[in-house]
Amino acid sequence: MTNAALNVARTGLDAENLRMQVIANNLANVNTTGFKRARANFETLAYQAMIPAGTQSSTQNTYATGLSLGTGVAALGTASDQTQGTFQNTGNPLDVAINGAGYFQVQMPNGTTAYTRAGNFSLSATGTLVTADGKPIIPQIQIPTGAQSVTIAPDGTVSAVIAGTATPSVIGQLQTATFVNPQGLQDVGNNMLTATAASGAPQVGQPGTSNNGLLQAGTLEASNVNVVQELVDMIETQRAYEVNSKMIQATDDMMKNANQQI
Amino acid sequence: MDRLIYTQLAGLEAAMARQNATAQNLSNANTPGYRADQSSFASIYVNGAQETSRVAPKKSSDTPDMTSGAVQTTGRNLDIALEGDALLAVQQPGAGEGYTRRGDLQINSSGTLTTGDGFVVLGQQGPVTLPPAQSVSIDSQGNVLVVPPGGDPSQPQVVDQIKLVSPAGKALNKATNGLLVAANGVLPDDPDARVQSGALEGSNVSVTGTLVSMIDASRNWDSQLKMIGVTRDMDTSGTGLMKISG
Repeated sequence: MTNAALNVARTGLDAENLRMQVIANNLANVNTTGFKRARANFETLAYQAMIPAGTQSSTQNTYATGLSLGTGVAALGTASDQTQGTFQNTGNPLDVAINGAGYFQVQMPNGTTAYTRAGNFSLSATGTLVTADGKPIIPQIQIPTGAQSVTIAPDGTVSAVIAGTATPSVIGQLQTATFVNPQGLQDVGNNMLTATAASGAPQVGQPGTSNNGLLQAGTLEASNVNVVQELVDMIETQRAYEVNSKMIQATDDMMKNANQQI
Repeated sequence: MDRLIYTQLAGLEAAMARQNATAQNLSNANTPGYRADQSSFASIYVNGAQETSRVAPKKSSDTPDMTSGAVQTTGRNLDIALEGDALLAVQQPGAGEGYTRRGDLQINSSGTLTTGDGFVVLGQQGPVTLPPAQSVSIDSQGNVLVVPPGGDPSQPQVVDQIKLVSPAGKALNKATNGLLVAANGVLPDDPDARVQSGALEGSNVSVTGTLVSMIDASRNWDSQLKMIGVTRDMDTSGTGLMKISG
């Protein structure tokens, strides 16, 4: 016999399990630069309308409430929290943080563009500005050999002091991209996000113009995970899991009773 | 004696068969790439002269559950986790192709690439054979890259590409050796299939689902047994009535 209560409790267990995985991922990435914490969203599963409300109960009366049975819970999606993380002063001129909205554009090995908030950049062997794992930034910034110091201004202008000159010369211009729905960006690992149909097309612009935030060199944006919030969520999830397994136990007892007492 | 007891016997066997499938799934909860078996039952109608006399359950063949399992990052060069619903094509001992999600690849003594349970991985033209190499790795499109002995580690050479297929809505069954086979023939190559290197997909057995099935099947078994007890009581009282005493 398939007991409906058993299956409903089982969906509850699966949903809490999934939430636990999301919380675990948040906690694991508590020190990842530019990480945005995720939150699991749940929705109710389809209801079975055994007696729809409003059907005739007799020739003169209709049912006031109707009989609807729920079938459990399902995880609908994971939404990322777009709060800005705290800024950490590193002093490294190539570390950049965006103060406000916007993403850095990165060239992926397969030719597509990815977006990231993690501004821990370095120079490649040929002097190109790249991410920590060697992916070049778009638009490509090429630091000439013999440059003594590199400065990134809040509006994205990259300038360097070439040996032999007194004033710094402008090398390039960093640009950032904003999206109508940044929560719709897809995480693809390595701190990278890709644009999807849900996020909208990227609006590329100079930092400081329209709604692109200004850059801050020598700083890194920390992850926005609040450990206390995650621990509270974890306790909540654990208790919800326990209550659902208690439900399974109780239903099992009821079935045992039916089999043995009757 | 009433034939009622035979219907209950069929019910008992069905409950036991369901329990067997559950036990099988639970025992493979840690096998990489294992796909859970979903058992299904059909009703067999025994028709009488004018009405349906009895309906007994009968076990139909199991279908594999193709949901993805949890992916674990291992960092090993030859571990691959298949993304989406891509399948790895391996050679069936004998003839033909089998498919699997088990990505813990190894190189056997004759230099062929095999899965963790010994099936030979197929490349673009037959099995993937590797020359002696310093290091072997697999990229996200399934290309097998080797660095020959004495070669430059930053310039690996592509030796072959693993055959990755997509089930494309076709029904899959499990063969007796655990490999997935298409219902009719061979599945087409999927050029868009991607793998994640250095990660391994575990089994997709949901422990909560299996435990719930186990409780269900146990209680079902109890109910059927109880019915057999009731039938026996009916029979006893029936024969008791007809007994000639003395």
